[in-house]
Amino acid sequence: MADVYNKAGFDFSNHVRNSFLQSKGVPFPKATSTGTTIVGCLFKDGIVLGADTRATEGPIVADKNCEKIHYITDNIRCCGAGTAADTEFTTALISSNMELHALNSGRKPRVVTAMTMLKQYLFRHQGAIGAALVLGGVDSTGAHLFTVAPHGSTDKLPYVTMGSGSLAAMAVFESQWRKDLDRESAINLVSAAISAGIFNDLGSGSNVDVCVITAEGTTMLRNHVTPNERGAKEKRYKFRLGTTAWTKESVRKFVVDESVTQISVPAGGEAMDIS
Amino acid sequence: MQRLKAGEVNLGTSIMAVQFDGGVVIGADSRTTTGSYIANRVTDKLTYVHDRVYCCRSGSAADTQAVADIVHSHLQMFAQQYGTPPPVHTAASVFEKLCYDNKDNLSAGIIVAGWDKGGPSVYNIPLGGGLFKQPWAIGGSGSTYVYGYCDATYREGWGRDQTVQFVKNTLALAMSRDGSSGGTIRIAVITEDGVERLFIPGNELPTFWEGPPVPMTVVEAKKVVPTAGEGAPIEVEA
Amino acid sequence: MELNGGSVVAMVGKNCVAIASDLRLGNQALTIATNFEKTFPITDRIIIGLPGLATDVITLKERFRYRVNMYTIKEGREIEPETFAHLVSSTLYERRFGPFFVEPVIAGLTKPSEGSVPFIAGTDLIGCLTLPKDFVVSGTASDKLFGMAESLWEPDLGPEELFETISQTLMNAVDRDAFSGWGAVVHVITPDKVITRTLKGRMD
Repeated sequence: MADVYNKAGFDFSNHVRNSFLQSKGVPFPKATSTGTTIVGCLFKDGIVLGADTRATEGPIVADKNCEKIHYITDNIRCCGAGTAADTEFTTALISSNMELHALNSGRKPRVVTAMTMLKQYLFRHQGAIGAALVLGGVDSTGAHLFTVAPHGSTDKLPYVTMGSGSLAAMAVFESQWRKDLDRESAINLVSAAISAGIFNDLGSGSNVDVCVITAEGTTMLRNHVTPNERGAKEKRYKFRLGTTAWTKESVRKFVVDESVTQISVPAGGEAMDIS
Repeated sequence: MQRLKAGEVNLGTSIMAVQFDGGVVIGADSRTTTGSYIANRVTDKLTYVHDRVYCCRSGSAADTQAVADIVHSHLQMFAQQYGTPPPVHTAASVFEKLCYDNKDNLSAGIIVAGWDKGGPSVYNIPLGGGLFKQPWAIGGSGSTYVYGYCDATYREGWGRDQTVQFVKNTLALAMSRDGSSGGTIRIAVITEDGVERLFIPGNELPTFWEGPPVPMTVVEAKKVVPTAGEGAPIEVEA
Repeated sequence: MELNGGSVVAMVGKNCVAIASDLRLGNQALTIATNFEKTFPITDRIIIGLPGLATDVITLKERFRYRVNMYTIKEGREIEPETFAHLVSSTLYERRFGPFFVEPVIAGLTKPSEGSVPFIAGTDLIGCLTLPKDFVVSGTASDKLFGMAESLWEPDLGPEELFETISQTLMNAVDRDAFSGWGAVVHVITPDKVITRTLKGRMD
C-alpha cells in the first residue's frame, strides 16, 4: 500500500487482470451512463443551458433526479452526456484548472479557455474518456456556446443538442429557435427541447434542469419542470415490528451507561479547609 | 480507407483551393456528420492558421482541429521570432510533419493555401502525409466525384471572379453527388490585401441538369384551346 | 459481479440510516462460504458496503481503511460521510481504465454537532457518485432490490421500522437471485447506537 500518494493520472494496473477475467467470460459491470438529452441556446442577453435528470445503467434507471449541469466557473457551466463518471470528473478537473488559471492570470475566466482545456484533455485520451459536453457561458468577449465531442472536436453554434435525445431536441430548436429571443422564451424553448428528449428518447427522462447565464449572473433552475412526479401512494407496505426473523443481535452504544450518585452537602456549605 | 474510430465526428467533406494571379480561393461545404446524423450543418472547415494562411480540413474533426491548433501556435511563435509573417510553405511543412509523424493515429487530409511575399500558393497534404504544391487541389470524400470536372475545366490565368465561380461550381457538383457533403458553401479569397469571406446558402447553390422538369402542381382540369390552323385541340399547361 | 455474487442495499430513515448485505460468497454457481459480510465500518457512524469481486472487496476495504486513517491523522478529525463518499469516488476513478469490480454503497450519519443527518450514496465501478434521498441498491440482485425498495420504502421511518423495511427488501430480493442470499446482516445507525442483526434467511 505504498501508493497513498499516487502519481497523477490514471492507474492501469488492473487492466491485464480484467482482460483475463473478461476472456474467461466474467461479465464486466456496467458503468453508469447518462443516455441523455442536453441542450444549450443563445438568447438576447446570454446563454440558456438545459438537461434532463435521468441516469441509466443499461436498461435500469440508476438515478431519477441526477444533476447534469456542472459548474465550471461562476460565469461558465457545462452539461455532460455519456459515461457519467467521465463527465463528472472531466468537468471537475477543468473547473479546478479554470480557477487556478483565473487566479494565476488575474483575469476573469473565458469560455474559450474552458473549451480549449476540455478539447485538449479529451483529444489526449483519444475518445476513451466518454464525455460529450455542451459548454456555455458569458465572458468579457460575449456569450459563447460550444459542443465538445468525446474525441475532442468542438463546434460553435447558436443552438446545440447532445446525447441520445439530441435528435428530438434538435427538431424543436430547428423549428422554433429565432435570433434574439428574450429570457422567458429562451427558457421555454430549452424546456420544450428537453421535454422532447424526455418523452421521445428512452435514455432520457424525469425532470428538466435549466441554467441561465447572462453578464449579470448565473441562475440555476434545478427541476424547472417536473412532468414526471410520482403519484402519492394510497396505501403503504409498513411491516409490523417483529416481522423479520433474526438470529443474532449486537448493539454498539456510543453513550456508555452512567449512574450519578448525589452526595449530600450541609446547608450553607462546609467551611473551607485552611489548615 | 476507413480509419475513423467508432463514434468519431467526421468531416465527410468536399474541400478545395485554387490559385489565381492575385491570390487563392479556398472553399468547403459545411457538413459535419456522426454516422448518419448531421452534427453541424453550418461548419466552417476553412480554418485560420495565420493572417494570410488558411487550411481546409477533411477527415476526423477532432484530429484536424487539434493539428490546426498546434500549427496555429507554431505560426504565432514563428511570427514573433522572425518578425515576419510565415510563408505558406512553412505553414504547410509544419502541417506535413505533424501529419506524417503521427500518420498511424491521425485521419487528416488537409489543404493549406494562402498568400506570402512569393505570391499565392496551394499545398495538398493527403492522408498519410506528403507535401504537394499544386495550382489547384481538391480533397475530402466529395472530391472523388469532381476530379474529372476540375481537370476538364481548370485554366491558367483566371481572375478572381472566374476562380470563385469555378470553386462554387466544383463544390456544388461534389456536394450533390456525395451524401456526406452538403449544406452550404463557404469560400475565402486570400490576397495581399486581406481575406474576404463569401457564403452561399444551401438554396442558392449553382444547379446543373437535374433531370426533366417535373410539374409542380396537380392538374385539376385541363384547359383546352384550339390551335390556329387545323382546329384540332391540343392541351396546354394546367 | 457474477463471479462471487452478493448484494447490498442502504436506506434513509428518520434520524437514522440502515445498510444491509447478504452473506454469500460463491465461485460462479458454487457457494463457497455463507459468512462473507460485504459491509465494513469506516467510522462509528459510517459503514460501506462493497458487493462485487471478492478479491477487490478485500483490497478496497483495506485501501479505504488506510486512506481514512491517513485522513484522520492529517486532518485531526473524523471523516464525514460526504467526504468519504468522494474519497471512494476518486479512489475508483483513478482506475478508470482498469477498474475494480465493485459497486460501493455508503451509509452514515453526519456528526452530532451537525445534527446527525442521514447520508447515503452509491457509485458505479468507476466512481460515479449517485446521491439519492431514499435508497441505494447494488450487486447481483440490484434489479430486484430496485423493485422491492421502490415499493416498500417510505419517508421518515424510525430505526425499528427501517430495520423491517430494509430486511424485507433485501430478503425478498435475494430470494429471487441465484448469486445472492444465504442469510443477511443488517446495520441500523442511529445517533446514539448501531444495531447489528443477523437475519434468518433461506439457505439455498
